[in-house]
Amino acid sequence: MAYGVALSVLADPTRRKVFERLRTGSQPVNVLAAGLPVSRPAVSQHLKVLKGAGLVEERSEGVRRIYSLRREGLAELRDWMDTFWDDALEAFRIEAEKSHKQRGSKRE
Amino acid sequence: MSDVASIAPVRKSVIVKVPIAHAFEVFSSGLSRWWPMTRGVGKKPIKTVLMEPRLGGRWLEIAEDGTETPVATITVWEPPHRLVMLWQINAQWKPDAAMRSEVDVRFTAEGTDATRVELVHHRFETMGAEAGASMRRDVDGGWPGLIARYVEEAERNQA
Repeated sequence: MAYGVALSVLADPTRRKVFERLRTGSQPVNVLAAGLPVSRPAVSQHLKVLKGAGLVEERSEGVRRIYSLRREGLAELRDWMDTFWDDALEAFRIEAEKSHKQRGSKRE
Repeated sequence: MSDVASIAPVRKSVIVKVPIAHAFEVFSSGLSRWWPMTRGVGKKPIKTVLMEPRLGGRWLEIAEDGTETPVATITVWEPPHRLVMLWQINAQWKPDAAMRSEVDVRFTAEGTDATRVELVHHRFETMGAEAGASMRRDVDGGWPGLIARYVEEAERNQA
């Protein structure tokens, strides 16, 4: 399953940082590396792994390689994740119905 | 991604098979009983999450070491029909009293034994375009705790 690979790949904190920096838009490797406490070759390596997992894509502009998030990869991951409020409301529904039933059975 | 001029609200709803008063009470006073403890923003491990059930009341997370983290403040309190909270969490999911996104929860009776609960998380743009878009993504489709879950899941896969 695609999300399994994505999860493993994103478990690395530095790689996650590289990934998160791409949320604001596509960037060349040198720009990405500039704001991170790791070397440019290391950033390139992380990007390669992210690309392999389908989370980012690259294109060439002259000699530069520009990286961006791959929307489909994110969508796969998102589908898998429970959403914040969906998850919360479901937990709420279960508790409200359970406690309501308990009250009802006490009255009987 | 730069396609965020205006920020759409996140809308969720659920039908609960309980009367409206009970639904409201569990949602507010009963927060500790149902809030998923994995969905925390403050110090871990979390001991409890509670809502002070009144206008101006806070949504608080209390860690096992006693640290209190305010998550939201109630700005509209109309039991059993509606409550609105200022969601005082920034894009990094840290408590931040300056944050002004808003969670509006409405309760509508559907007959005598069921209640529709509609939750709207909106005004993300008050956080700034980028931070707001990030928060919106997090509460709708992602969540920074998902990062913890990434790690959890990844580690489980490796084990």
